[in-house]
Amino acid sequence: MAKIIIDNQEIECRDGVSALQAAVEAGWDVPHYCYHPGLSVVASCRLCLMEMKMPHPQTKEMGWAPKLMPSCQTPVREGMEIRFNTDKVKTNQENCMEFFLLNHPLDCPVCDQAGECHLQDYSYKFGKAESRMVDQKLKTPKKDIGPRTLLYSDRCVMCTRCVRFTDEISGSHELTLVNRGSRLEIDVFPGLPLDNPMQGNVVDICPVGCLLDKDFLFKRRVWELKRGESVCPGCARGCSISIDHVDEKVYRLKPRFNPEVNDWWMCDEGRFGYDYIHDKKRISSPLVRRGLEQTTPNWEDVPAVLRYRFEQFVSEQGGAKVVAVLSPFMANEEAWLLAKFIRDVAPEASLAMGPVPYEGEDQSFPAKASGDDVKFTILKEKAPNRKGIESLLESLGGSVLTYEQFIEKTGAGDITAAWVVGGYPKPWVEKDVAKIASKFELLVAQDIFENEFTAKADIVLPACAWAEREGSFTNADGLTQPFQWAIVPPDGARRDGQYLFEIAGETGLFSAARVREMMAKTVPNLSKVHESPARPVHAH
Amino acid sequence: MSWKAIDRNQPVVEKDAAPVLSDAVRDKIRSFFPRYETKRAVLLPALHIVQNTLGYISWQAMTEIAEVLEIHPSDVMNTTSFYTHFWTHPKGEKVLTVCRSISCEAMGGAKMLDTIKKELGIDEHGTTKDGRYSLVTEECLAGCDHAPCLLINEKMHKCVKAEDIPALLVDVDNDKLSMERSDLFDPPSEEKGKQAASVGQDSAIGATSDVSEMREAE
Repeated sequence: MAKIIIDNQEIECRDGVSALQAAVEAGWDVPHYCYHPGLSVVASCRLCLMEMKMPHPQTKEMGWAPKLMPSCQTPVREGMEIRFNTDKVKTNQENCMEFFLLNHPLDCPVCDQAGECHLQDYSYKFGKAESRMVDQKLKTPKKDIGPRTLLYSDRCVMCTRCVRFTDEISGSHELTLVNRGSRLEIDVFPGLPLDNPMQGNVVDICPVGCLLDKDFLFKRRVWELKRGESVCPGCARGCSISIDHVDEKVYRLKPRFNPEVNDWWMCDEGRFGYDYIHDKKRISSPLVRRGLEQTTPNWEDVPAVLRYRFEQFVSEQGGAKVVAVLSPFMANEEAWLLAKFIRDVAPEASLAMGPVPYEGEDQSFPAKASGDDVKFTILKEKAPNRKGIESLLESLGGSVLTYEQFIEKTGAGDITAAWVVGGYPKPWVEKDVAKIASKFELLVAQDIFENEFTAKADIVLPACAWAEREGSFTNADGLTQPFQWAIVPPDGARRDGQYLFEIAGETGLFSAARVREMMAKTVPNLSKVHESPARPVHAH
Repeated sequence: MSWKAIDRNQPVVEKDAAPVLSDAVRDKIRSFFPRYETKRAVLLPALHIVQNTLGYISWQAMTEIAEVLEIHPSDVMNTTSFYTHFWTHPKGEKVLTVCRSISCEAMGGAKMLDTIKKELGIDEHGTTKDGRYSLVTEECLAGCDHAPCLLINEKMHKCVKAEDIPALLVDVDNDKLSMERSDLFDPPSEEKGKQAASVGQDSAIGATSDVSEMREAE
């Protein structure tokens, strides 16, 4: 920890960071566009300039240097003294802001970024209200630069964050600068559009409304959105994300800073993979089948019905024929509650885990990088919680089956009662597995979409998408991360955690933290969660 | 109209188009590799070579340069568009560069420019229909003591009067340098130099003026 003095206040900061980073972390709102902690430093926006004490070249006496220094490019040094609260610094900020707005179209009323735009914020806080520009503004074109992204270059401040992102993080080099001076623009080579698995991040790091996400374009004003903290269920990596939603609809997903997992980034697959939440075909209410008769029970009756059915089955055929198939899409808490219920009604019941979907190969970025140079990885394992469920099965002990054993035993008639949990966003029941669905005497299917199991099940329970649930996922590196619900489930459905909580014999409201306390005895390694550190308010 | 976005997804280079860079040009570009740590560093010499051969750097030439240097075509576009020296569309046989800076302006540069425009019937950045002349302006041609200046291809004409223009335009020798032109750079070694020179001669690829010229002049 180095000690530095900012505006006459002594603060402690991390070693090796830039003065700008230290100031921002200590609570100073230092304006900056081109600086991003995840990218190389170019010091081109000149907004973060500071005054610094330096030794006089002749007398070696410490004094304020006559010129302003870029704080993003100046590393902190023990005893360093800098200041931002002087007229010199403020005048520079004002002048810079006036310069950035010279050719800006001021189209905030139709701009997606309005509300989270750093041109707006900085203009308000550091700029001045009027411009002295009397000439015609230079108009640069709007460009469609890729299947998911638009570039409105008239709003650009030339921070080159996006260009550095494609050069340094995704390693795909699509974005570049063309021309120079006042005609400088960001562009792609025509016919080689911005189209890589991480391209959505350029929209996040754009401090203004220049890069736009077609998926979110003109959908909502950002100040209407509410933000839920969550974990991406797209792959076993478990990137920290936030769910931007309003009126119980998810509008976009954004990465949340987490140095342990995803830094500042997320992949497009995760970012745009939320559509299934609002699919009309989702199962939204419980269903009980008795022969040809189908009824929709009240949620209040569901725990009793389930307990009665299982208890009756166990008393007739014994508990060894019962299995609960947990899904790698379940949260640890939900899986534990279900296991608790099954072992409660049938102590000798088996537990298993459903199939883990794999797609392609692991992808790391930049391509060809290895070791520490890898900035981001997308895993082929497309489920968020295989590790958590495996760890749970191990800790709970008793009879544990693999998914293959479960299919085999069911086919042989050794298992006749099952609770099968799905929750997969894509169809997951393979054809040869579908045959066994009719072999059960008692089948409970808990799933998000209809499939062969829900078609044959005696009791169907609606599963919720991760954005509607709370709990924790354990990622591929064994890190258990909590996620919060952002939206309520569709009409008629209830959160998995809530009904499993009641089915497991508990009363009151489900809370993941409370269940984790209950889990502490049996599954100690899953009861502690890793929360990603909060980013300083002024960092962007 | 203002909300119309330019579609950058459409390719400008045909997929199966015949290459525009001959093997000789590619070899010449490659002959610069040993001089630098990275292939990327050969980008500027490559652009000079291509412009001297083809007259300008087309989209397809950019992709082919990128292929030879193993970089992304967007990086080639970046550098090409940065320097006004490089043309991205065909230019005339003779490029007339008029100085628009203060000394030349004071000594009748504007009149000279107007005369050229009138003579050729083109505006700035224009090329005559027969493809013989292109007209551009530059900030300074570094000949203020002999203002006004006019550069035709690589030959500088000093103290140009408006009435000289018609004669200058038809003068066949006005783009011949009095000084002998060197190859792009000093040869890195004798062997390499021979190779580079021979490539240049055999394929009759034009050479450009360069730093080495200035060094020689010193």
